[in-house]
Amino acid sequence: MKPYLKPKAMRMKNIFKIIAFVVYLIPTVLLAETVEKNTLVLGVKYYNDNNAVQHLVISAKSKIDGKFQKIANIAVKVFITSDADKNNLIGTGITSERGEFILLIPPAAKTEWAKSATQNFVAVSAATKLYEEARGEATITKAKIKIDTADGKIVNAKLLVLTDSVWKPMTGVEMVLAIKRLDGNLNISETATYTTDSAGAVTGEFKRDSLPGDSKGNLVLLANVIDNDIYGNLSAEINVPWGKPLSYTTNYNHRSLFARRGHSPFWLEFLAYGIIIAVWVVIIYLVFQIKKIVKLGLE
Amino acid sequence: MDKLREDKIIADLLPQEFGKQGKIWVVCLLFFAALGVFAYGRQLYYGLEVTAMRDYASWGIYISNFVFFVAISLVGSLITAVLRLTNVKWSTPLTRIAEIIAVSAITFASLIIIVDMGRPERFYNLFLHGRLQSPIIWDVIVITTYFFISLLLLYFPLLPDLKIMIGFKERNGKWLQKLYVFLGSFWKNKAEQFKITDKAINILAIAIIPVAFSIHTVTSWLFATTYRPGWDSTNFGAYFISGAFLVGAGGVVIAMYIFRTHYKLEKYITDDHFDRMGKVLVLLALLYLYFNFNEFLVPAFKMKKSEEDHLLGLFTGEFAPIFWFAIFTSMFIPIFILLFKKGRKPIPAFIAGILVVVGSWFKRFLIVTPTLLHPFLPMHDVPANYHHYIPSWEEWAIAGGSLAGALLVITFFARIFPIIPIHETILETESHENEKHF
Amino acid sequence: MKINQNSRRDFIATTLVAGATLAGCATKNPFTAEEIPDVKPSGEMVKLLSVDGEIIEVDKAFLKPVPELPAVMNTAAREGIAGKKFVMVIDLSRCKSVKKCQTACNHMHHIHPGQNWIKVYPMQEAEHTAPYWQPTTCMHCDEPPCVKVCPVDATFKRKDGIVLIDSDRCIGCRFCMAACPYSTRVFNWEEPKIAKEIADKPYSCETSVPQKVGTVGKCDFCPDMVRQGNLPHCVSACPNGVFMFGDLLEDTVTNGSETFRFSELIKDKAGYRLMEDLGTKPSVYYLPPVNRNFPFENKVESGEEEKKA
Ligand code: SF4
Ligand code: SF4
Repeated sequence: MKPYLKPKAMRMKNIFKIIAFVVYLIPTVLLAETVEKNTLVLGVKYYNDNNAVQHLVISAKSKIDGKFQKIANIAVKVFITSDADKNNLIGTGITSERGEFILLIPPAAKTEWAKSATQNFVAVSAATKLYEEARGEATITKAKIKIDTADGKIVNAKLLVLTDSVWKPMTGVEMVLAIKRLDGNLNISETATYTTDSAGAVTGEFKRDSLPGDSKGNLVLLANVIDNDIYGNLSAEINVPWGKPLSYTTNYNHRSLFARRGHSPFWLEFLAYGIIIAVWVVIIYLVFQIKKIVKLGLE
Repeated sequence: MDKLREDKIIADLLPQEFGKQGKIWVVCLLFFAALGVFAYGRQLYYGLEVTAMRDYASWGIYISNFVFFVAISLVGSLITAVLRLTNVKWSTPLTRIAEIIAVSAITFASLIIIVDMGRPERFYNLFLHGRLQSPIIWDVIVITTYFFISLLLLYFPLLPDLKIMIGFKERNGKWLQKLYVFLGSFWKNKAEQFKITDKAINILAIAIIPVAFSIHTVTSWLFATTYRPGWDSTNFGAYFISGAFLVGAGGVVIAMYIFRTHYKLEKYITDDHFDRMGKVLVLLALLYLYFNFNEFLVPAFKMKKSEEDHLLGLFTGEFAPIFWFAIFTSMFIPIFILLFKKGRKPIPAFIAGILVVVGSWFKRFLIVTPTLLHPFLPMHDVPANYHHYIPSWEEWAIAGGSLAGALLVITFFARIFPIIPIHETILETESHENEKHF
Repeated sequence: MKINQNSRRDFIATTLVAGATLAGCATKNPFTAEEIPDVKPSGEMVKLLSVDGEIIEVDKAFLKPVPELPAVMNTAAREGIAGKKFVMVIDLSRCKSVKKCQTACNHMHHIHPGQNWIKVYPMQEAEHTAPYWQPTTCMHCDEPPCVKVCPVDATFKRKDGIVLIDSDRCIGCRFCMAACPYSTRVFNWEEPKIAKEIADKPYSCETSVPQKVGTVGKCDFCPDMVRQGNLPHCVSACPNGVFMFGDLLEDTVTNGSETFRFSELIKDKAGYRLMEDLGTKPSVYYLPPVNRNFPFENKVESGEEEKKA
């Protein structure tokens, strides 16, 4: 990045524009407009949480100055099945500051959804002033995870995939077993991922002893399939009492030098108010003395 | 004492109208004050951007000036209170000069702190949301208190003089007469009234000492409560107070000389006064020197890593010229001049006073700026001009304007009220003569 | 100790769906996590399609995102999120001074050009010690000297450990800048150069946007992002995963792609805090710059970056 080069580059651009303008003066004014448009890349990701809530995350990005950047305010239509037909429209949205939005899969998609074990989602945006029209797609096969626990802090999870209208276990898929935390999920042990066996199952041992849970020591365990090419993102969760009860204290209400107004330490309050009162009593006394002098003078 | 002599004293000491010199002086001051106001207008309009302060040097000459004003205001308590309590009689003619310097300096100290604020219009937040934990709040409280005490200390001894002034109706003109009447028409020279004022003045003389000490101590805490090299010192309160005594006494010597020559007060402010003030000044300069030794020698002996850049910057680096200039002009040279009997004559003492005050101003600059430019983590990821601090013309204009403003207040005060207490001078002369009789 | 339920709710509302509340599916587990009953249904039901092709109804309160989470009021922003204590871990062994963190932070907070809340210092303690890059944010000190000195409560310490600034109250005395030993605070010397529509927004302590002339600004740990269940901008922007953010009470920190148990990470890698001797008790921990497999290249010293400034 060398910003000091910018003015020069801009000047060059302007010169080119002027040349272009001169050359195409008569036939085209349109040209100048079409040159600037950027290509937009739409991404579609499928999520199935707890085998219930299905949603899509639609994202928009574009290469600007050689780098991909998130693009806000792009209106996107989302269809189920690859044919972007009015009847298959399942929703629309506008990308946020972070260049994405979330679309819950609505009941309207029911008939299409029932047709096949494999589904297509298509996102389409119309051309705008700055970007060309774009299209993004995701194909997923219906799948779900079952999670359970066993004695000795063992976590069992099973991946089921819809094949010929039956849920069948699927082998060879990577899965993550984790504890739900604020912004990211903490693996239950040092093992990063597990691969499902022939029964579609993975088994992991919970090794995060005395990890703080809620006030009763409950933790939320998760089994995840993350960004799988065929199944998308799947998750299932379960609550277990394997954590350490959270004991939480705060000094927010303590009196301290860094507390807020009205929470200064007692010694400071005594000292300060003591001094202030002592001195101001003297001042007020003296002002009364002036009054006394005035009275004496008027007698 | 005969009536004639008394009349002579009164005639000598009554405030006089501005002469030609006086007018030029006032116009000059007004010009500088106006320039300051103009610069401040620019600052209000454009924000603190017009100053040279930036993220590292986040305080500049406004704060230096603030510390300087607070320092010089301490003199009010020095002359009036300390000398009064120790029963030093020779100081009588100096008390009012000292008090008015104190009042005007403390007024401008609070103004300059408002000038320094990024959001002066939110000043009321200090009262609405004030946090007792913050040294700024302590400063606000003590400055207000000190201002009122100083005002009272100015007012009580003024009462008998007001009566005298009211007697000169013709001379005063309509407005001044009204002012005098408003302030002191009730003063009847009654014995009870004297009893009350004497007592009040005694109380004030005692009360003002701790308050004056605290305003300067608290001001030093604005720095000493932080971790920064050069400020993180337990010595700071005493260091500031001794410095304040010095600059205050220097200020009084200057004022003495100017009033004496301008109003022809040689009989009242005598060579003897200069001699004694000169000695006081030497004593205070030595005291300040002592604290300076402490303040610089001890850290320099250890040369902690965090202090090293700061100290070397002062001794031999970027700030060395100002540092040595300040040390020499505010301490060594005045001490040298005033040690000699001839040096304590009015003119050399006056020059020494000026050196002290000028040197002290730069000393305040050195207390604020070099420390800020030597943070714990190196200066980084900021525009190049953030690495230095050279005050902009607006800052100089505002700082100069505030000094001019303070001088204006003193000048007008001397125009309106007798700068040497008339009544007390008469008493003094009387008792002097009585002593002679016995 | 009982955790304030209201603020707990803020979090749940943002985590996608709680299993137990769904009609029909998900076996009810005997160990119901305490958080779930805390969420009060909004009464507004959303219909959606399950993977089995059934239509289910879910209360809106349990769904993410609650579109455009309303910015919390000033009083709530001053109190902070109960039951949380946010910490950051900065892994010096990964930092190559790519400065994506800085760019993202400056961009998202609309910081005045030239100023930075995140600085990446080239450090070298002594002549014969190794040079390394040290990114600094606000340390969100637990005994913050900046808060101690603020005369008007314009900078304050919250329950969750975050130190924020109320630019609508700050009087611009800059005492906090003098008090902060980490030189983390910047001042808006002039009207910040930001787009009009941003500048016209009401100020929020949690987003620190828009910056206002004559007041201070600094890193805020992005509590607005945290409230939405996202990581602070610097954390998600860093390509090398230098920054890790999390809740000390959950004992977990994450940089988005990796998640660590905080206590283990600090123990294994000998984490430390800056200027511990000052007693400020920072909330930012550093992992020492060991085992780096990339060279230290200081472009500033070789003069390349000078021209920028
Ligand atoms: S790093 Fe500085 S600004 Fe941040 S909390 Fe600590 S003292 Fe305050
Ligand atoms: S500059 Fe603002 S935040 Fe900092 S101490 Fe002053 S009022 Fe408080």
